[in-house]
Amino acid sequence: MSSTSNSPLGSNRVRIVVATSVMLTFISYWRAAAVILNDLGSSAFYACGIAEEAIGKSAPWFVLGVMLFAFAVRAVYVESCSMFVRGGVYRVVKEALGGTLAKLSVSALMFDYILTGPVSAVSAGQYIAGLINDTIAIADAHGWVPAAVHHLFNGTPQVGVNTTAVLFAVAVTLYYWRENIKGIEESSEKALWVMQITTVMVVMLLGWSFFTLWKVGGHLPPFPTLANIHYSQEALGFWKHSSLPHTFAILGLIIGFGHSVLAMSGEESLAQVYRELAHPKLKNLKRTAIVIGMYSFVFTGLVSLLAVMLIPDDVRTRVYSDNLIAGLAMNMVGPQVLRLAFRAFVVVVGFLILSGAVNTAIVGSNGVLNRVSEDGVLADWFRRPQKKYGTTYRIINLIVGLQLFTIIVSWGNIYTLGEAYAFGVVWSFVFKTVSMLVLRYRYKGERTWKMPPNLHIFGIEIPIGLASVGMVLLATAIVNLFTKSVATVSGLIFSAVFFAIFTFSEKVNRRKHAHTAAQMKEQFQLQPAESVGRETVGIRAGNVLVPVRDYNTLNHLRWVLERTDTHEQDVVVMTARISQFGSAAYGLSTEQMFSDYEQTLFTRAVSVAESVGKKVSLLVVPARDPWSAIAQTAHNLESSAVVAGLSSKMTTAEQAFNLGSAWEAIPEPKRQFVLQIVQPDGIVDTFRIGPHTPSMKNEDVVLLHRLWLNVTREPGLENIHHHDILTEALTRFARDYGARDREDIVKELKRHGTEAGPLPLRRIADQIQTVQPGPTHSDHDADRDAAHRDDEPSSPKGAGSE
Amino acid sequence: MSFSVLLIKILEYMFVAGWAGTVIVLVLTFVEDVGTLLDRKDENSR
Repeated sequence: MSSTSNSPLGSNRVRIVVATSVMLTFISYWRAAAVILNDLGSSAFYACGIAEEAIGKSAPWFVLGVMLFAFAVRAVYVESCSMFVRGGVYRVVKEALGGTLAKLSVSALMFDYILTGPVSAVSAGQYIAGLINDTIAIADAHGWVPAAVHHLFNGTPQVGVNTTAVLFAVAVTLYYWRENIKGIEESSEKALWVMQITTVMVVMLLGWSFFTLWKVGGHLPPFPTLANIHYSQEALGFWKHSSLPHTFAILGLIIGFGHSVLAMSGEESLAQVYRELAHPKLKNLKRTAIVIGMYSFVFTGLVSLLAVMLIPDDVRTRVYSDNLIAGLAMNMVGPQVLRLAFRAFVVVVGFLILSGAVNTAIVGSNGVLNRVSEDGVLADWFRRPQKKYGTTYRIINLIVGLQLFTIIVSWGNIYTLGEAYAFGVVWSFVFKTVSMLVLRYRYKGERTWKMPPNLHIFGIEIPIGLASVGMVLLATAIVNLFTKSVATVSGLIFSAVFFAIFTFSEKVNRRKHAHTAAQMKEQFQLQPAESVGRETVGIRAGNVLVPVRDYNTLNHLRWVLERTDTHEQDVVVMTARISQFGSAAYGLSTEQMFSDYEQTLFTRAVSVAESVGKKVSLLVVPARDPWSAIAQTAHNLESSAVVAGLSSKMTTAEQAFNLGSAWEAIPEPKRQFVLQIVQPDGIVDTFRIGPHTPSMKNEDVVLLHRLWLNVTREPGLENIHHHDILTEALTRFARDYGARDREDIVKELKRHGTEAGPLPLRRIADQIQTVQPGPTHSDHDADRDAAHRDDEPSSPKGAGSE
Repeated sequence: MSFSVLLIKILEYMFVAGWAGTVIVLVLTFVEDVGTLLDRKDENSR
């Protein structure tokens, strides 16, 4: 028997509530800004160098223009996120222009994502190679390089910049390939840390640069007039023999703008982090947008301007075009050793932020391909999970294979990589903005913010702002088609190949899925719900939540059902559909959430329920992290207990610790609940999640009692209770810890920690404690590593009562 | 007028008109967003 009777349609099919919102740990706008800037800010290291190589010394003005324009592009994303929580390119284009153009836009986006990795990794390699060469050159100038080495290299030993960059890029890409296969997660904590270090570098860089300007002076780069734009041979692409770029002034501006547009790559991350932003979401999204806008304007824009002002022309174009910020560091006023040290700092920061962008590229492309494959657009073969780690290793292999191919084919030529990169960036923006324009007329749902200004003529809305941004992007994208021949050819081939794969796979999958859907409809009735709540699932408070994952290990479900009177207490069987970072922008439909695997899993769960003869409610929730999903679902459903099976990778204490940590991340007010972990041998470990009365050691209880006895002998304190002693002790502890004795207390607690067990387990003490043992339970006191069993007394006799 | 010149003229008008509108967007959204950034009433930074 199962939840058949819950069905609103009264059919015989089992009703499954499918939550369509991913359960996430929500982050502040500062963290969101840090995540985006890790991608967006990395372009500061190479964008101006590439632009200057294409159009000459006036490039910084174009980069500044692009950074200004990026504010307006961000407004497009804010509007799309106000309509769809997952307001990325794929979702928006699919809503506005349909599946075919959505596939095309995703192909362009994939080109962008796949090139982000090589361009970032090669750039980091160029910075490292440049530092090695300059350090050796300085050492040689001081005579610190042995003569034998000098003779061996026929001069100052130098590493090949491009070869080093390629080797480094391959190594970094392989490292992150391995990490992604293992399923590491992006952390906003790490992103924030990287941005804090980057900010220190930017402040030092700007301060020192302005000081240098004040000391030695400098000239602004030439303004971007037709006379000042000096195209390189490659910069004109198919127009290299045409007089048009030299004739039309505005065309020169568009070409320059097109060569600098890669400086705003990374905007798509805004849509991806939106889902994880804390309340109030839209307000925080605007805050994020303005923070990243100002930061990238100062970092990418101003640093580019200062680099051209302070680095002499011949050195800048000859030596530092691929590592402009390093060149800026070396051309400040001050002792050479200090400049070299600062350059090393620049390289370290560049390594952190650029290698982070390599990971973002793999995670982002994996997320995009996962979404389209779940949409039936990519064959299921690609989604087969890795045996050990459960990651979509075939998609990751494909992405990393393409990235390695790109790195090797370009052989460290950052200019070629950057030029090609701009193709994906600009076309995905074009698709997005045009779709948003279409949705102004076609979309009838909720939209909490509109990009200004908007005119109303005879009741028809004219979206001036959106149309303006769309026109600039479209004009730039079309001109880029002519001037960036390498990008056009490679981008079109890449997009066409991906588009063909998507289209072919979709046709194959449609036939296959039609059969599966027909099978599924015979048994399950899917009921989508935007969020998880007691009303949507149709259960009472105080229910038992049973997370399930592996359909071969459902003994904990049987254990619960055998011990629960489902007339009095509801049992909810829940599975979390894991969605990785980077995929948040791409919508999951009900059918995507409920794949073949979930179907098998719930079929088994229902058969367990039927064999016991108890009713269960079924629930699927999408989530980034299974622990967050369990904690939030238990919180939303007002569950009194969560009963889980034993993980194959963790101990029960570790499972409890993870759930406790996820519980801590839920905003107040929140409910406590009990976690029971049923082991295969039938032993059940019980933990309490949330703040609660701690269990006390016998000697502590005895001490408390003795103190109570002594205190009550004092005149006037006869009516004091045990808890008064505890209150006084804790008040004194709080006072001492906050003031003079903090260090002593920490030292003392550390000593206790070493004696009592490993620190991570002691941290569990705050959230996990023993509950009353049952006849089949073991009982973990997480305050100590040692568990005491149910035959041990939980409190000493004679400890006194009040 | 050849096709190329016609295309370039159209692109030029699009670019210039687009930038004119974008400047208005920038002014309006910048003022609004800075106001949002400075409004600390419901900030929930962690």
